[in-house]
Amino acid sequence: MSTFNHADSSVSDTEETQSGEGSGGVVFLFFLIGLAASLIVGWVVFPKLLYSQKHQPVDFNHVLHNELVSEGCESCHFFREDGTFSGAPKLAQCIECHEDVQGESEEERKFVEEYVKKEIEVPWLIYARQPDCVFFSHAAHVKTGKMDCVTCHGEMGESTTLRVYESNRITGYSRDIWGHNIAGFKRNTWDRMKMDDCAECHQQKKEMLGSVQTQKEGCFVCHK
Amino acid sequence: MKNEHDHTSTKKFGMVINLDLCTGCGSCMVACMSENNVPFKEDESDKLRSITWMKVYKLTNKRPFPETDICYLPRPCQHCEGHDGHSPCVSVCPATATDYDMNTGIVSQIYTRCFGCRYCMGACPYHARYFNWFDPVWPEGMEKYLNPNVSPRMRGIVEKCSFCYHRYQAAKDKAHLEGRKEIEEGEYQTACTQACPAGAITFGDLNNPDHAVYSLKKDPHAFRLLEKLGTNPKVYYVSSKEWVRKAGDNYLENERPAWK
Amino acid sequence: MKIDRRCFLSLGVGAGAGIALSPLPWKITDDLSIWTQNWSWTPVPATGEFTTVNTICTLCPGGCGISVKKVDNRAIKIEGMTDHPVNGGGICSLGLSGLQLLYGPTRIKTPLKRTGERGSGQWTALSWDQAIAEVAEKLNAIRTSGSPQSVACISGATSPTVSRLIDRFMAAYGSPNSLSVPTFIDSYRAALQLMHGVAANPGFDLEHAGYILSFGSGLLDGWGSPVRTFKANSGWKKSKVKLVQIEPRLSRTAAKADVWITINPGTESDLAMGIAHVIIKESLFKADFVQNYASNFNEQFRKLILDNFSPETVSKTTGVDSASIIMIAREFAKAKNPLAVCGRGQGNIPGGMNEFLAVHALNALVGAINREGGIWAVADMPVSDWPAVQQDSTATTGSRRPRLDNAGTQAFPVAMSLLNQFSSALISGKPYPVQALLMVESNPVFTLADSESTRNALNKIPFIVSFSSFMDDSAALSDLILPNHVYLERMEDVASAAGFNRPLIGLCQPVVTPGLDTRHVGDAVILLAQALGGAIADAFPWDSFENCLEETLGDQLETLKEKSFVVDEGFQPDSWATAFHTPSQKFEFIPTALASKKPFAPINPEGDASAFPVILLPYDTMRISSGFIGNPPFLTKTIEDTVLKGTHSLIEINPKTAQTFGLKEGNMAMLQTPKGQAPVQVHIDDGIMPGVIALPRGLGHVAYDSYLAGKGVNINRLIGSVPDPVSGLDAAWGIRAKLSKA
Repeated sequence: MSTFNHADSSVSDTEETQSGEGSGGVVFLFFLIGLAASLIVGWVVFPKLLYSQKHQPVDFNHVLHNELVSEGCESCHFFREDGTFSGAPKLAQCIECHEDVQGESEEERKFVEEYVKKEIEVPWLIYARQPDCVFFSHAAHVKTGKMDCVTCHGEMGESTTLRVYESNRITGYSRDIWGHNIAGFKRNTWDRMKMDDCAECHQQKKEMLGSVQTQKEGCFVCHK
Repeated sequence: MKNEHDHTSTKKFGMVINLDLCTGCGSCMVACMSENNVPFKEDESDKLRSITWMKVYKLTNKRPFPETDICYLPRPCQHCEGHDGHSPCVSVCPATATDYDMNTGIVSQIYTRCFGCRYCMGACPYHARYFNWFDPVWPEGMEKYLNPNVSPRMRGIVEKCSFCYHRYQAAKDKAHLEGRKEIEEGEYQTACTQACPAGAITFGDLNNPDHAVYSLKKDPHAFRLLEKLGTNPKVYYVSSKEWVRKAGDNYLENERPAWK
Repeated sequence: MKIDRRCFLSLGVGAGAGIALSPLPWKITDDLSIWTQNWSWTPVPATGEFTTVNTICTLCPGGCGISVKKVDNRAIKIEGMTDHPVNGGGICSLGLSGLQLLYGPTRIKTPLKRTGERGSGQWTALSWDQAIAEVAEKLNAIRTSGSPQSVACISGATSPTVSRLIDRFMAAYGSPNSLSVPTFIDSYRAALQLMHGVAANPGFDLEHAGYILSFGSGLLDGWGSPVRTFKANSGWKKSKVKLVQIEPRLSRTAAKADVWITINPGTESDLAMGIAHVIIKESLFKADFVQNYASNFNEQFRKLILDNFSPETVSKTTGVDSASIIMIAREFAKAKNPLAVCGRGQGNIPGGMNEFLAVHALNALVGAINREGGIWAVADMPVSDWPAVQQDSTATTGSRRPRLDNAGTQAFPVAMSLLNQFSSALISGKPYPVQALLMVESNPVFTLADSESTRNALNKIPFIVSFSSFMDDSAALSDLILPNHVYLERMEDVASAAGFNRPLIGLCQPVVTPGLDTRHVGDAVILLAQALGGAIADAFPWDSFENCLEETLGDQLETLKEKSFVVDEGFQPDSWATAFHTPSQKFEFIPTALASKKPFAPINPEGDASAFPVILLPYDTMRISSGFIGNPPFLTKTIEDTVLKGTHSLIEINPKTAQTFGLKEGNMAMLQTPKGQAPVQVHIDDGIMPGVIALPRGLGHVAYDSYLAGKGVNINRLIGSVPDPVSGLDAAWGIRAKLSKA
């Protein structure tokens, strides 16, 4: 037993010495490979895996429509009399113009045939949809706070086509909530729509801070 | 924690419930359940596990027939202010899931924030908080009646009466649209207040002299539940019967009530 | 170069460092925490445009206006209609639960045909065409065999036009057996018929009453139109109007009353007579009315009262001390706008005419008839004429046969329909057997007294058709179900609210488009008539119920669609000079028609006192719906655990009574009556008279859904019907019983 042990250890000693010369480099190389691979996974592969890509049921040209309406965004995204916000238009509004095909666009034809004629609401994928626990008052922000649509929604009105909707496979949220940048960095006000982004503004309104727990605004102001 | 607020300029929503008018019919309970997406199970006779944000208690004077008397007492969340908003439940919440808002006087409960430790239930002297032991299940088709203004809860969290805060939000939405800063008394009423067939519940801003509750709470027969604990609740009760007032404060037999 | 263990470790460290330098861990943590907050099985209600639809609630005869909130095409909340004259914004717990009936699992989704044994719950779905054809075939066969009278119909329809349509169908088909579901209003109608000589509904001017003497009426337990009565009570409390409740049990009404008079059950009419005695003896009555507008007062009524009902005598039977009788009599007679009311509990059982006649006589004594704050005779609304039914010879012969329930016969001339006497005719098969039964908005197996024998009686009928929207206890026993829309999907007129004192008509309007394969019962009847053909089809010139409704209501329909109700605000009841159309053209304290009877004799409970030492009383509560509508889950959730615990009904018992039976709180006991027995749990309560025990009405369903079926005891299993000697209606207010430890 003891003989065998001795021989074994002497062999390994020799090997260690032999490989020892270049081993620091190799080990470091492996470190770099690991680092590089995981950085690629973390920054490139992970976001691709995390989000599924969905196409809108019908494409929509905001620019084209904006030219034809008189009141800007509010022509279709309007406030109801009770102060609630209509959000994405319902078929009933679209039908006012689109009872029959108006132009030559393939998408419009699809819209009229698949939805208008069959009286089926278009299942639009809402980029800015907040989860059920959030109460957001458009009236408070747009009417009283005099904020522009762009502040949160970006240049949506300037788009000629609807971009791909990315859905988080874990949470089911739209990618717009976390923001396009996987690290959560943002350059524009509309790049992210997480709670902290709301809080950025809300913390500045000193007279509204009533929370005993957080010294910020009351939780019920934005939650339900 | 100190809040630098001028309390007179802020709102303090509260209720005055006239127990002489309350008939114990249970409309307030059902109005609350149907407004706030409160779930139900096949067997709800185990009242410790039956979620009723608004619950009507039956008090008796414990006298033998025919001197027996009954009084019904509806109990929503009392929205305790404690001292400076340190209500019993808010003080113990480790998750910032429940909070006291100095601007409205409402104790909020954020379901997605709650992780179900149930400290608040232990702290609440009114049994106003309920734990979801099970995931709510609506029989197929019944989820159609759910109110979109109140989010349905999930298993493992605590819930309670919110004074129908979503109705305040809705009323404010309308005010924002119409360019008004304030809402009218009638624009924000809780579901139970609105439904009560006897008109026993009055709701409004306790700080606002124009609101009915402002003067009603000064009724000589008004009292609050367990006032001596210092919870400083915002639900007032009125009863012309002395035994009811005594029961409401949980005085021991032969103990001298505070108002004497 | 060799790759060794350290290389792999290094690779791992590098990978770890890389991951740490990437957003992955933080993003995953955030996402996972969100994931735990959004389980896929927790519903997220869709938002949309909020709208409100006004309609009338028909879940009870209360006739309240409701405003139903909708989000897009979903109904999400029922609220009271603020400008409705009956409920003015208030709403009861049953009305609030209506959406659980609309969207609930107990709805019948399509026409069904029984496939297994009766009541086995095995069904196969049919199309409407098939279902109508099957019913028509059966009814045709019965008619061809020459016995159309052997088809009967039980209807609890809340729409007058639907009721007329059903009566018309039965007339055209050739059967006299069109039965309705009676309530205390029918007893009041009989009283008005006998004492005033008019066909009218009782209207109570509750809002202006100055003193209320209630003989066991559950004014705050669902009597009449509950929300209206609750509102009136709040008015009484604010203006210090006294409410005196006479009842052996501390009901909610008794608890909120200013005075609770505990009385031996069943002796209420004696007490009314005792009070009349004091009023007459002390000349406190309204002399003008008694002398000028009433007949047979001095010679008959006065003598009857003074001879037999002195406070001392009455005190012995009722258990109410004579001082209290005298005090109440004086207060009542001297009060401004006094009003006495009766009809026990919610008034679901019509009750004994002795009480109705005695209490109405009290009102007459103090001049509370057709006066402010009193009881008014509100004449039936005129209806538009339909062309008379042209019966063929089969129909003429059939409808001349005697009614099976004895209504309108020499024995019971006042009654229009006596549902309580129907099942004994079914069992005896005399004078002829019933071959087919139609049931509309009624659940006789559950709501009729002696429900076991009703069930047996129904089981003798070869063919039963139910038009119920729900799988109720009776629908479960039927052979074919042709499901009706529920009220929130229907368009139909609604009769005035029970006890309302002005002419009123409401319109039930569809809040949502029907989501199941159901049809309005009016349409089903028209289709059936058309399928039967000949003179029956000719009697129905309408192509749909809506068409029939349009023709019937005429111009009024547009107003109704807009406002949901039409009320005659300025209505005044007839003056005393013109109000009475009896043989004497005056108010009759003792109706001429009853001269040979003993109209004020008390109704005794069934059972032998030695074998059954205590009296079992049914009671009503706002938290249990005991009629055709079964409790929705929300309502059941509000039932106290002193009333229902698990599947056990709790029996209310005084501690003294419990002691005599050796029972303690929470014990299981066997409750026995001459009609049957049931296990109950004991709940000791000081609020009930010794020697009396009580169970609520409305529990113990065997059908409906798992939220209701099998909970508690149906008290109708334990109580039989006692026909009133005058009206023939059910007058049973309780039954003798005993308890033994189980």
